[in-house]
Amino acid sequence: MTAKLSDSARELKCGLIARIFLFGSIATIGTPAFAHTSEGGFVLLLPTDLYIASGVLAVALTVLLLVFLSDKWVSRIFRPVALWPLPVGNLPLATSLMSTAFLLWLVYVGLNGPRDPLANPLPLTVWTVWWVGLVFVQGFLGNVWRWIDPWRGAVWAMRRVLGPRPVFRFPTFLGHWLGILSFGGFAAFLLADIAPSDPARLARVVAFYWAVHFLGMVLCGRRWSLRAEGLGMVMQLYARLSPLGKRGKQTAIGLWGWRLALGRPVPFGLAVMSLLLLGSGSFDGVNETFWWLAQLGINPLEFPGRSAVVWQTLIGLIVANLLLLAIFVAALWLGFTLGGVQKIRLGEAFCIFAPAVLPIALGYHFAHYFTSFLVEAQYAMIAATDPWARGQDLLGLGEMYVTTGFFNVQESVRVLWLCQAGGVVIGHIIAVLLSHALAVRHLGAGRMAVVSQAPLALFMIGYTFFGLWLLASPRGF
Amino acid sequence: MTTTKTIAEKAVSKPTRRDALKTLALGGAAAASMPLWARYAGAQTSEPIKVGFQVHRTGIGAAYGRWYDRTTSAAAALINEQGGINGRPLEIIAEDDGTDPKRGAEVVEKFAAKHNCDIGFGTLFSHVVIGSAPRAGELKLPYFVVSEGHHVASGMLNRYTLQPGITDVKSQVQAMAPFVADNLGKKVTMVFPDFAFGHDHRDYFTAAIEAQGGEVLEHIAIPPTETSFTKYFPKIPRETEVIYHVMVGPAVLTFVKELGEFFGPQRPEIFGFIDSLEAVDITSPGLEFLEGTYFWEGNPRYAQENQSEYDAFFRERVGVDANGASVSDPRDVSTYAHMFGCWETLHVVKAGMEASGYRGTQDRAALIEAVEAMTDMPHSIAHPQGAKVFNGKTHQVFGKQYISKVVDGKLLLVHTTSIEDTFYPDEVDYTTQSL
Repeated sequence: MTAKLSDSARELKCGLIARIFLFGSIATIGTPAFAHTSEGGFVLLLPTDLYIASGVLAVALTVLLLVFLSDKWVSRIFRPVALWPLPVGNLPLATSLMSTAFLLWLVYVGLNGPRDPLANPLPLTVWTVWWVGLVFVQGFLGNVWRWIDPWRGAVWAMRRVLGPRPVFRFPTFLGHWLGILSFGGFAAFLLADIAPSDPARLARVVAFYWAVHFLGMVLCGRRWSLRAEGLGMVMQLYARLSPLGKRGKQTAIGLWGWRLALGRPVPFGLAVMSLLLLGSGSFDGVNETFWWLAQLGINPLEFPGRSAVVWQTLIGLIVANLLLLAIFVAALWLGFTLGGVQKIRLGEAFCIFAPAVLPIALGYHFAHYFTSFLVEAQYAMIAATDPWARGQDLLGLGEMYVTTGFFNVQESVRVLWLCQAGGVVIGHIIAVLLSHALAVRHLGAGRMAVVSQAPLALFMIGYTFFGLWLLASPRGF
Repeated sequence: MTTTKTIAEKAVSKPTRRDALKTLALGGAAAASMPLWARYAGAQTSEPIKVGFQVHRTGIGAAYGRWYDRTTSAAAALINEQGGINGRPLEIIAEDDGTDPKRGAEVVEKFAAKHNCDIGFGTLFSHVVIGSAPRAGELKLPYFVVSEGHHVASGMLNRYTLQPGITDVKSQVQAMAPFVADNLGKKVTMVFPDFAFGHDHRDYFTAAIEAQGGEVLEHIAIPPTETSFTKYFPKIPRETEVIYHVMVGPAVLTFVKELGEFFGPQRPEIFGFIDSLEAVDITSPGLEFLEGTYFWEGNPRYAQENQSEYDAFFRERVGVDANGASVSDPRDVSTYAHMFGCWETLHVVKAGMEASGYRGTQDRAALIEAVEAMTDMPHSIAHPQGAKVFNGKTHQVFGKQYISKVVDGKLLLVHTTSIEDTFYPDEVDYTTQSL
């Protein structure tokens, strides 16, 4: 009895800290769409306090280590190893054309195939295979987007017809803002639309998005891809984070973020996009917690559906991103003020350091979607073998039943939770290292690099705590 | 007053019935082996009967939705193997309602306007039913819900909404009171979540136990956002003989664990609704405390010793093992207490369409009248959960309820109520509304 009371008191204290922290930053891990009570129930029974403390400690120790380790060591760990030259010629153009054809087929199936979003190949490919799976692979392994970009080949083919020069010059004053707007629209659709998985609805959205950007790319050329197509910009950023990449003509492999550590600072728009990726990913999860639903006056055990929270979700998404931007800039400013940094202006510093949050965003992406991916991937397999839901078995998989049994056993829930938490913690550790390597490179070794990084490091430690706390939090849907 | 009857006391099915079942299954298999044109050759048209399946694919109902989908697919496959409905195949058109009432109404509209469905079917969560039913009524789309909610029989919906495949919560709760009063105790403390779901249990059971000469000593309402319950347990009066609990949500396991730690071995009798632990393995760590406690079950999750052949057949077709879990993964526990409702409802639809000579959407009103005319539904392949009585006036079916005890980590059936235990006075007569 006493033990339980002290547990409750600890929870209350932990909850208070988290609430206070929430006003200072926004981050979370979300819930799978198909998880049920038992998974959440088992998570509540896990000793998550202990796990959270360990995760935060790991990130804090990394920060501490950087104070004592030589700056050269930090720079050295981001040096890649050259592998081999890999001439691929026009192969990516060919695969891109195939990707376009596949996308058009998916749109057709979306409009005319099964109405069930877990049977129709369109939503399963767009949300499960691409958004959850391939976006993660893009950052975790290497640039797969180059091979599956559904515009590149089609634009190339159109150029063969229309001639090599774009009709219009991309208006440079727009910077990357069209792309940011385009990504914002995507995030709003994903989080706030009442039925983003509805096959026909999604088919129309995908077709519209593809057509608008195809037109833009044909009319304005390559710059449209780099500055106006938001999802391609996300892929660009994650490609820069991935361990496999090009160094000169060589293929090279290194620690996540080596190209960011060694390359030029990203343009301002991409720096903003880095934070939006983290902010939007973080909010996609906050909005599912008991805490958020309580703020909206909604009973989390009786969630009335997405239609009841459309505006709240949109406002929350915007506020979360603005808050994250403000906190990040404030941490940067404070660090530069404390460290007496003169040679770099705040705007430049923002472009240098903002991409350092990409490992965190990728870690969150993994943690947020991991469990739902385990379930939806099974539906995707079934859809692959029976795309029209007619009882076909094109791949010869035999009778398949989707299972969520791994959510029903405490041990497997523990393993899943620790995998998710591991993704969050590793993402933060790499971010801390990357941020420090960038500081050493741009500000020089020594005290200035350490002091100027202190507020950012604290921010990352806090973000780790908050992410893990949310991973352990009860969720309403 | 209460006709208590355990499964053990029930007469085992006669061999002739078993034979009939085999014949039926064989007939089904034979029909399935025929080409489509031959199978439905007797019908005036081979156009399928389109059933719009409003399924909770996403949102809070997704775990139920998965099993509702699996059961519905199994029932449709069986009906088609048996030659379909009026010689026409059954086609299930599943649309995700996101467990969202607004989206639910949209989906109903799509069924009627876009997919030209003959009926809408399969909704579970009450708020989605309540949000969708008015649109179904306006569109004159027969809307067969599998919700358990009292909203159908309460009269708040319309003539086009029916619940013929699953009993409602009011009848379930009141049918528990005689067993609780006679076997567990008359002094009850209720622990329930502090919102409509919990309030329904509070109101129905309090009245029912008082009618049995019992009393509720304390109503303990738990805020929905609560994740630790220790502070509420001291409110349980010492003289409590039975704790009635209906907690739901992710904190259920914590609730049970803390209740066990609070009481230790010296506990009152405990009675709960399986809704709290639907799709949860009863042998999960932390649930040991449930040993010896009682649960209402809509349909016994574990195959009992004297399991009916209909239940065995139902499990086999849906792909559920003797422990109520998926045959492909013993950890994947089904929503066994509820999902039979989809199977039974589709069979009621089939019977209604056959009785009314249903040909197409122009006969929707005749289908409603045919179902309203139904009364007895015998325990059969079509009704594997048990015999039922349909009330055409209230559009609600009534049936036996099951009470199981946790013994050696399994739910052992100890009591089956009579159908009469579940009756209550009619609150509406939908047949007076125009079609």
